[in-house]
Amino acid sequence: MKRDLAVMMLTWEFPPRVIGGISPHVYFLSKSLVKQGLKVYVVTCDFPDAPSHEVIDGVEVYRIDSYKNPAPDFATWVYLMNLNMQKETAALTRKIGDEIDVFHAHDWLVANAGIGLKHVFRKPLLVTMHSTEIGRRDGLHTSTEKMIHETEAWITYEAWRVICCSEYMISHVKWAFGLPSNKLVMVPNGVNTLCYNDIDSDLKDFRSKFALPEEKIVLFVGRLVYEKGIHVLVNAAPKILEKVNAKFIIVGSGYMKEQLLNIVRGMRLEHKVLFEGFLDEQTLLKLQKCADVSVVPSLFEPFGIVALEAMAAKSPVVASDTGGLSEIIEHDVTGVKVFPNNPDSLAWGITKVLLDDNYQKYLRENAYTRVQEKYDWEKIAQQTKLIYEGVLGEYSKSFWA
Amino acid sequence: MRLIIFSWEYPPRVVGKLSEYVKNLSTQLAANNVEVNVVTYDDSITGSAQEPTGVQTVRVSNPVHTHIGVLTWVLTLNQEVERAAANIYYKANKQIDLIDVYDWHFIPAAVTLKNGLGIPFAYSVESLEDHRTQAVNTPYNLAIKSIEWLGFYEAKKISVKSEWMRDEVTRIYKVPKEKIVVISTASNSWIKEILKLYNKVAGGKIVNET
Repeated sequence: MKRDLAVMMLTWEFPPRVIGGISPHVYFLSKSLVKQGLKVYVVTCDFPDAPSHEVIDGVEVYRIDSYKNPAPDFATWVYLMNLNMQKETAALTRKIGDEIDVFHAHDWLVANAGIGLKHVFRKPLLVTMHSTEIGRRDGLHTSTEKMIHETEAWITYEAWRVICCSEYMISHVKWAFGLPSNKLVMVPNGVNTLCYNDIDSDLKDFRSKFALPEEKIVLFVGRLVYEKGIHVLVNAAPKILEKVNAKFIIVGSGYMKEQLLNIVRGMRLEHKVLFEGFLDEQTLLKLQKCADVSVVPSLFEPFGIVALEAMAAKSPVVASDTGGLSEIIEHDVTGVKVFPNNPDSLAWGITKVLLDDNYQKYLRENAYTRVQEKYDWEKIAQQTKLIYEGVLGEYSKSFWA
Repeated sequence: MRLIIFSWEYPPRVVGKLSEYVKNLSTQLAANNVEVNVVTYDDSITGSAQEPTGVQTVRVSNPVHTHIGVLTWVLTLNQEVERAAANIYYKANKQIDLIDVYDWHFIPAAVTLKNGLGIPFAYSVESLEDHRTQAVNTPYNLAIKSIEWLGFYEAKKISVKSEWMRDEVTRIYKVPKEKIVVISTASNSWIKEILKLYNKVAGGKIVNET
């Protein structure tokens, strides 16, 4: 009998180490791949009190000492961490015998380890590009940024396939590194719907901490930075309040906070626009469930996971028509799309949703169905498995096989 | 015997004395029926080289052009060294007896190849970071020292060119003295002693100690 397909995931973050979106992504992808019958190993950086080896939901997780070598700066730390990650993964791969079929790296943060292991063991390497340096910085301005960009180019060159989470990122990555189209493949990011099922259905008491019963809740979740477009929502607030009684709840923090507070004070809307800062996960999940509308007014958005979370929480979504959001939201079906950076357009979209209960219900149901159809981790794992199998089919005809 | 030598300088690229030494060593080894492969850095500016007879040389260049220091430069170059070494390994039907690595630059590659493919290595010390940058202990120097330490820890044998250097390696890195072999380049039996060292590292035929 043929043994299970085995994948070695490389990631710099995995729960309980959570820095950004890669950690939950690799966690859900790995455990869903196990359900598809794959053998999944994850090698990641260490975290206080997390064991160096454990099995989580069938996934073999190994944590390496990521601070073994002193480092003068972040980028050099990344390369030094890769030294140790590569060494430990090489030893592990040898220990478990000739079993690993593919190496799957996540972002440039594990590029060196992934590339080295590919050549040492002569197995295919895949990379998921979650973001790019040129996109994050809006250009390449320093030697560090150029070095990171070239490292990203290097791993996309060495990888057999480059996975991106949206069509927008596919075209961005293709442009940034000059890749051929047939090397790129889109697999959407997933969203966990189960965490919302565990929340109490009776949220009346919880809701009353944030809004009066007659006030509709307009929710924003995101960093308070320019590219997230939070200033557009703040400027739309008085236009919305002319038509409907609402409370604006802003979750997250960022450098624009003081500036935004000043605008709100100038409008004399301190009682209508609440800045909550960071919230714990349970509170956030409950708020997403209570929200009468969730707003994603981003100006730049590679994927837009917060829109998916709102859809999974059955909260109607109003989002700007840009980046990954353009793909997630189908206008007038799974949400409302508005012009980016346009408070009038945003106010129109939010008002339209808030004034029509039937329309809200229609959007909620369509959106939830869409999430289950397209952004379900099991389906994403199936697609990923097919990509691995496709690569291994091509590999079997190469002189490395 | 089949071996790979890692050196960050090799003719025509000459940074210090190591370059000519490694060329001389490879030539002598080839003359003693050793299959010698040299993996080194291609700086693409020092022109062509007259390759010595019987020595296979692979020169790799850095896939990342922009760097913020020697450390990042070295650490991205190592994957190319691994690629070159793995190509030699698979072409030779996985029969490589050992790697001889000169100084710290390509220690990361040697360590990965040892752990991944089981190829033992000797660490040949030309100089130490502690002597190059005396009394400097920035995170940058400490990182280089930590790579040297990794090399001493993972190597099967360490070779130095003087008793003084053996004492220094023992003093600074607390390496057991028995792990270090002193081979003087001035010695008449120099190449014989090198071969003896290689046999010990490869774990092959036992050579009587005299």
